[in-house]
Amino acid sequence: MYRKTIKDYALDGTIYTLLILMGLMTLLPFANVLSKSFSEEWAIVSGKVGILPVGFQFDTMAFVVTSSQFLRSLGISVLVTVIGTLASLLVTALTAYPLSKRELPGIGALIVLFIFTMMFNGGIIPNYLLIRELGLINHLGSLVLPALVSVFNLLVIKSYFENLPPSLEESAKIEGARNLTILFRIILPLSGPVLATIGLFYAVYFWNDYFNPMLYINSTSLKPLQLYLQDIVMNADTSSALDKSADDLMNVPAEGVRAATVIASTLPILLVYPFLQKYFIKGVLIGSVKG
Amino acid sequence: MKKAFKLITVIVMAALMVTTAAACSGNNGNNGGSAPASAGSEASAKPDAPKPTLKRLNVWTNEDYNTYPVAKLLEEATGYKMEYDMLPQDKWAEKLNLIMSSGEAYDMVTSYSDMALYSDYAQKGALVDLTSLIEEFGPNIQAALKPESIEALKVNGKLYAIPVSITYEVNSSILIRTDWLEKLELPMPTTTDELTHVLQQFKEQDPGGNGERNVPLTIKGDQAMIDNIVGAFGIPNGWNEVDGQMVPRVLDPSFKDYVAYVADLYKQRLIDREFVANKDATAKEKFASGVAGAIVVHWADIPGIHEALTKNLPDAKFAYVPPLKGPNGEAGFTANAGFDRLTFIPKSAKHPEDAIKWINASLEPETFKTMAIGVEGTHYKMENGGYTPILPIFNDERNLANNFMVGTDEEQYPKYWQARVRKNPVMFEAFDFLNNQQPAEVKHLNVLGLAPYMQQYAKNNQQLHTMSNDYTVKLIAGAESLDGLADFQAKYLAAGAEVSSQEVNEWYQSVNK
Repeated sequence: MYRKTIKDYALDGTIYTLLILMGLMTLLPFANVLSKSFSEEWAIVSGKVGILPVGFQFDTMAFVVTSSQFLRSLGISVLVTVIGTLASLLVTALTAYPLSKRELPGIGALIVLFIFTMMFNGGIIPNYLLIRELGLINHLGSLVLPALVSVFNLLVIKSYFENLPPSLEESAKIEGARNLTILFRIILPLSGPVLATIGLFYAVYFWNDYFNPMLYINSTSLKPLQLYLQDIVMNADTSSALDKSADDLMNVPAEGVRAATVIASTLPILLVYPFLQKYFIKGVLIGSVKG
Repeated sequence: MKKAFKLITVIVMAALMVTTAAACSGNNGNNGGSAPASAGSEASAKPDAPKPTLKRLNVWTNEDYNTYPVAKLLEEATGYKMEYDMLPQDKWAEKLNLIMSSGEAYDMVTSYSDMALYSDYAQKGALVDLTSLIEEFGPNIQAALKPESIEALKVNGKLYAIPVSITYEVNSSILIRTDWLEKLELPMPTTTDELTHVLQQFKEQDPGGNGERNVPLTIKGDQAMIDNIVGAFGIPNGWNEVDGQMVPRVLDPSFKDYVAYVADLYKQRLIDREFVANKDATAKEKFASGVAGAIVVHWADIPGIHEALTKNLPDAKFAYVPPLKGPNGEAGFTANAGFDRLTFIPKSAKHPEDAIKWINASLEPETFKTMAIGVEGTHYKMENGGYTPILPIFNDERNLANNFMVGTDEEQYPKYWQARVRKNPVMFEAFDFLNNQQPAEVKHLNVLGLAPYMQQYAKNNQQLHTMSNDYTVKLIAGAESLDGLADFQAKYLAAGAEVSSQEVNEWYQSVNK
């Protein structure tokens, strides 16, 4: 067996140290925001807060997470994410299943039509008009409906279905099961990994979605967390007296409040990420190697 | 992304204009023109008809309008229920364009005062003409607004908006560490020469003991025009009168002298060497941590700075520098004129009449006072002849009251409004010094603030401002020299200043006849 020399150890050591340092560097801005959210406001204003809080306190964070608007926006985001993910998974799986039956007449043409929408779409104006005519402006439906089927996810699920052994379905048919029974009792229970992956794709999409609500939501009580966050954070950049009245200047939320809001809205998805990570990697592999 | 969104909204607007135009003309046929009058008589015939719920779109605030105490107060005072939505903080104009063009049925829309946007809506026929409605249902509105405010908002002779005017005149000056002055036994500077001397002493004697980091005067990177100093050189406003003509700063004969003075300060290292890279927060950090001896800030920024500075250095004191006299004896500040918010009624509104009735009821003098500063003894008390807020209830229940206003009692409101400044005694002292204690001759009215919509001016203003500002920063920092000024002026004129200038002066001559 090859034995490491001192030189190797030194080289490894340097590489590891460098990589760890670079990794930590990416954490610096985050650490700065985190420590700001637990610091006294005076310390933030005088630029004393680096990566460690100055004058440690919980009041700012407590103020942010108990604010009714924050809680309501969090609720909206959770609601949209949960309902959106479940609905999208259901509809995508229901569409993928028939498309995986290559022997059916016209399936090839249908798949081409789906793929066509991956490359070409009407664009935002027709979308806006459509949503408006559907009466979904200022309605949470406008956040879920347009994202119900992502063709990429659809194709991933379809190829997974295609790789399931056909004899399973045949035996079920012999037992007298009909198509829906086969889908819900046989196919879907066997598709745990792909559904988990795609579910996570959808969940992250719905949680992070900010463009659709920006276009379609006007009402304060329906704003998801990402919009709320943007409103709070953008406040900082427009502090010139030119376009703000003195009343607004006097009411600008403190820097610490902004930092705490950023942290509080990042935390939920941050907590989920470690658990999602392995599925994400699996998800990328699915369909990449046919075996 | 930003650009994309802007482009998108423009295109969506264009597309939607077609549909809304159709919808609007349909509405006009039904209830435009003669309809308000007939609907009005109908309403008065049935006095106990239930009042509809109104919908109002408003600017962003950090709390929900619907649950804010003022909303309830107004509901009781006017008898109307109101649903409030708000625009985003960022890119509110794009979102407003989207909403206006999609014909959302808001009964009232309040936006920041953007004359270009307002005139655009008015000219495209997206707004209800308020003239006759106010005559019929708005006696309080007529009493509250000054005629000049109404004149400034007329588009083609018709009034489409009700304004909230700016309530104070002077924004900012140089804030200086008076304990540094005392330590060095220097008097407060009153001329530009004295200011130079004080800053030199700040640099040489380092009264704060900051060593290398010592900064005599700090400013933000985009602050080419330093308030107070510009006044000393006779160019306090963006446009100033020179021989009866309005002239933008860069074309003003005094501009050279101003730049020469400030560039000299920079060269002597009396202005923050790193000022070009300073953001608003960086400059404040330097002053709040005691590194800088002076800073240019709006008085509304003082509470945060004061709190931080006294925590860091309990003995620190500061005050605004009074108007400095320049070499030619000129001095002063720009004085705000114009509007803070505009409220209009879109054509797609379902209840334009009720909206006017609501506004009228909100401007009933007692209601307005209660909305603005609350109840005496609960929210405020009278002290030294001024309205003084009672804290913290004033903060909790009246901080956002200004956002609910559609028009103000223009006589009384500036007095009520000072209660908001009195929330913080240090801020009030600074405000009082700049606004109440300065004589009228050092407050130079920003004449263009009350100008009506001017197409070329509105189109070019922002871009020209950026252009001249960037150039002035370069001049101060020594990246450009004044020898090139004539070339720049030629470019500046060609970039739209010439047409803007013509338009502005045409208007200026017409009002100054």
